[in-house]
Amino acid sequence: MSKLTLSTPALLTLSLLPLAACTSETDAAGNPAPTIRVALDEQFSRKLLDEFSKELGVTIKQLHDSEAAKTVGHVSAIKTEAKAPRCDVFWNNELGNTVHLAQQGLLTPYVSPAAKDIPARWKDPTGMWTAFAARARVLIVNTDLLPDKKDWPSSYRDLVDPKWKGKCAVAKPLTGTTLTHFTALRNVLGADKVDALFDQMESNDVEFLASNGATMRAVREGRLAWAFTDTDDYNVAKQKGFPVECVYPDQGDGQIGTMLIPNSVGLVKNGPAPEVAKKLIDLILARATETRLAAAASAQIPLRDGIPGPANPAVLVPGKFHEMAWDIAAVGQDLAKASTHFAKRFSL
Amino acid sequence: MNHTATNLLSRAPLLLALLFVALFVLLPLAELFLGTFFSDAGFTFSAWARLFEDENLWKQLLASLRLGLAATTISLILGGGHAWLTVRRDLPFGRVLGPLGIAPLVMPPIFVAMGFSDFGIGSGFWPCAWLLGVAHAPFVAVLTARGLRAADGRAYEAAWLLRGRGRAELALLRTISPELLAGCLLAFLFTLADHGVPEFLTVKGKTWHTYAEGVYSRWTRRAVGTTFEDLQSPVVAALPFIAALAGLMWLTLRLRAHAPDRGTVTPLPIRPLGAGRWPALLLPLVYLAAGVGVPVLVLTRWVLGSAQMAEPMSIAYARQSFAKAVDQGMPVFENSVWLALAVAALVVILALPLARLVARRWQKLEVVLALPIAIPAILLGVALVNSYVDSKVMRAMNDFYSGWGFALCGYAARFLPFAAIPLAAMVRRQSLASEEAASLVPRSALSRSLRIHLPPLLPATWSAAVLVFVLALRELDLAVVLPAANATAVRRLANAVHFQHEDWSGVIGLLLLSTAVLVPLLPSLLAGRRLSSLS
Repeated sequence: MSKLTLSTPALLTLSLLPLAACTSETDAAGNPAPTIRVALDEQFSRKLLDEFSKELGVTIKQLHDSEAAKTVGHVSAIKTEAKAPRCDVFWNNELGNTVHLAQQGLLTPYVSPAAKDIPARWKDPTGMWTAFAARARVLIVNTDLLPDKKDWPSSYRDLVDPKWKGKCAVAKPLTGTTLTHFTALRNVLGADKVDALFDQMESNDVEFLASNGATMRAVREGRLAWAFTDTDDYNVAKQKGFPVECVYPDQGDGQIGTMLIPNSVGLVKNGPAPEVAKKLIDLILARATETRLAAAASAQIPLRDGIPGPANPAVLVPGKFHEMAWDIAAVGQDLAKASTHFAKRFSL
Repeated sequence: MNHTATNLLSRAPLLLALLFVALFVLLPLAELFLGTFFSDAGFTFSAWARLFEDENLWKQLLASLRLGLAATTISLILGGGHAWLTVRRDLPFGRVLGPLGIAPLVMPPIFVAMGFSDFGIGSGFWPCAWLLGVAHAPFVAVLTARGLRAADGRAYEAAWLLRGRGRAELALLRTISPELLAGCLLAFLFTLADHGVPEFLTVKGKTWHTYAEGVYSRWTRRAVGTTFEDLQSPVVAALPFIAALAGLMWLTLRLRAHAPDRGTVTPLPIRPLGAGRWPALLLPLVYLAAGVGVPVLVLTRWVLGSAQMAEPMSIAYARQSFAKAVDQGMPVFENSVWLALAVAALVVILALPLARLVARRWQKLEVVLALPIAIPAILLGVALVNSYVDSKVMRAMNDFYSGWGFALCGYAARFLPFAAIPLAAMVRRQSLASEEAASLVPRSALSRSLRIHLPPLLPATWSAAVLVFVLALRELDLAVVLPAANATAVRRLANAVHFQHEDWSGVIGLLLLSTAVLVPLLPSLLAGRRLSSLS
């Protein structure tokens, strides 16, 4: 069925409706303004992008997702718009979905000169995406409930320790960084072991909550002793005066390490404003941007050497902790399978 | 101008309204439905077969039905009780409390849930049923009050004299049963379609899931899905749900249509509550406190700094919250207000000719007009996007799809039933004789519409516009899906709360609520109209 044919009569009605369509500004060279889909917290990203608009001399059209949908709204929209893309740049606050989009052929290569000092492992070899400014998957601990550091949990294995029965939480691995984390764990540990881990977690009355924000809230309010969350959620709770600290899990010899999940940016294939979009990507990947994101309340961890880390010394930068090794391409490939598997597990 | 041209011109509003329904309701849904049968390989049932293999489907359905019944019972007790006490009984402050029965509708259910969660609400079945029951009780309250006002006091008195009070009350209950049942069905319908509150309670550890949550979860998996079945899964799962909801909607409309036109009636006598007069106040107060008081209190506490521990709550903190709100939320707040006003205006313009058509000539159209209520808003949004994202016509029109015009059309499609259906009911109550007499007057169709048809509909039109304005102001699902509506306040608030920006979110939340309350009050404030006109 041709959508064009079906939609053609729209002209009749639409011409009589208020024509409040978007403006089509251009830069000095006559290039149209780019559209960006952003998953990073709007409070930080909007101001940055407004400044980039001034630098580029065009009004960047910003589309932000509902956090309830994680990055799903953006990814779905980019897929839906594949035949006639409206968006030029995808700034994801994690990496799994960006890799998935690249693997689906919805991104196009762009090697930004601004990314030359980002470590190679955080760049797609074909230039489909570039990662920057990360968050770590940490344990947030309520220090009123656990005042002695010796009592703090130190590993993902603590989730199944009877000592913590009914006192800890993890978000359901259905979206966002938790899905990426547990998909990576399936690759690192094996799918069967992760399934067994979930069985044991259920036996240990681990609370499976809706999001990392929810796990953080349960801990900051003292309902639970500790939980998995991301460093940005922990840092904001800490700044707001709640009695919380964070633990980078699995730092011992032979342990798997702490997972680092960076932001990522990609150029959308056949977007309407590729030239200005590339300049925008250069600005997003600039050292100055990563520096500002590290200094912001979300305490994003810089991936490059020489950029000062977040002010909170508890948020560690690469090299200061044992990182979990994970295969980015494999995670992008397995995301759909893992998502369906976990959804069944949680009756969704 | 010849007769044909004049005739066509006089029918233009109706033709355009019908075209609007075809383009923004029927076409997108038809395309979405047909799309589930056509993969790249051709015609297939594979997406539907996958749905019935899903072992969680029946569990979710059962959970939804249980929740719907429990929440509707709560809506009936609170909403029906509120109407009964304020219309039929000598409740203290009944005249003020009566019109407030609609007030919880101003509050997005998710705000009610967030409000209660600040006071440590549990995560179980009954808290969820309570929240949804409170949020949807206004449907029962408003329709029951309407039924009671339309009941004939003389018939009630006669029944009492002849058969005693108990039988008279039963007869009255039978008289208002169409409105009462319609209110309950609407509450049931909205409870089934709500995924936000049940999902929010998973934050508190809820472990069971409703059907609407299941559909939403499929949407999230669709993003990473790769096969035809993955991509169609949420649509396929939602369509039987829509059919069931549309069936309920049809039943509701039938009930409303069968409510007799009682014309001008003697009001029911107001019965004394006696010793229970003051204790009876408890029910409306609990209802309004739960539906409005607690969420407003929580938003106010956020503004004062309750969501942080670095410093105590204070007026100074509230000033900071306001400053942040001006910096972060004011542009989106303005967008929301302008969009809601435009939606209310467009919906009224479209609804008036459609209402006359439904009431006088084509009653079955009412089911089509009701369809957007039965559809989860997120699905309607996705259907609109699917149909128009690739449209070259839209591109030619300065990319209409990406602008406010498309958001306006999407919102209007969503909220059209809330104006068209009640207006159709009002048109049915108008005298046919006066319309026939008017048709003999040698005036243009436009003149007849403005002078004869429209004036009796103005109060109902105002009520419908207010309702649409309020609903558009609080709409979240379409705001997430339609590109321009991304820059509206409710969408921004949903994110801000997640990222622990409760302070300025509280300010914007209170501003939205104030706007939703002030706009309906304007005629009362400016012209001294009675508040009861709102309900």
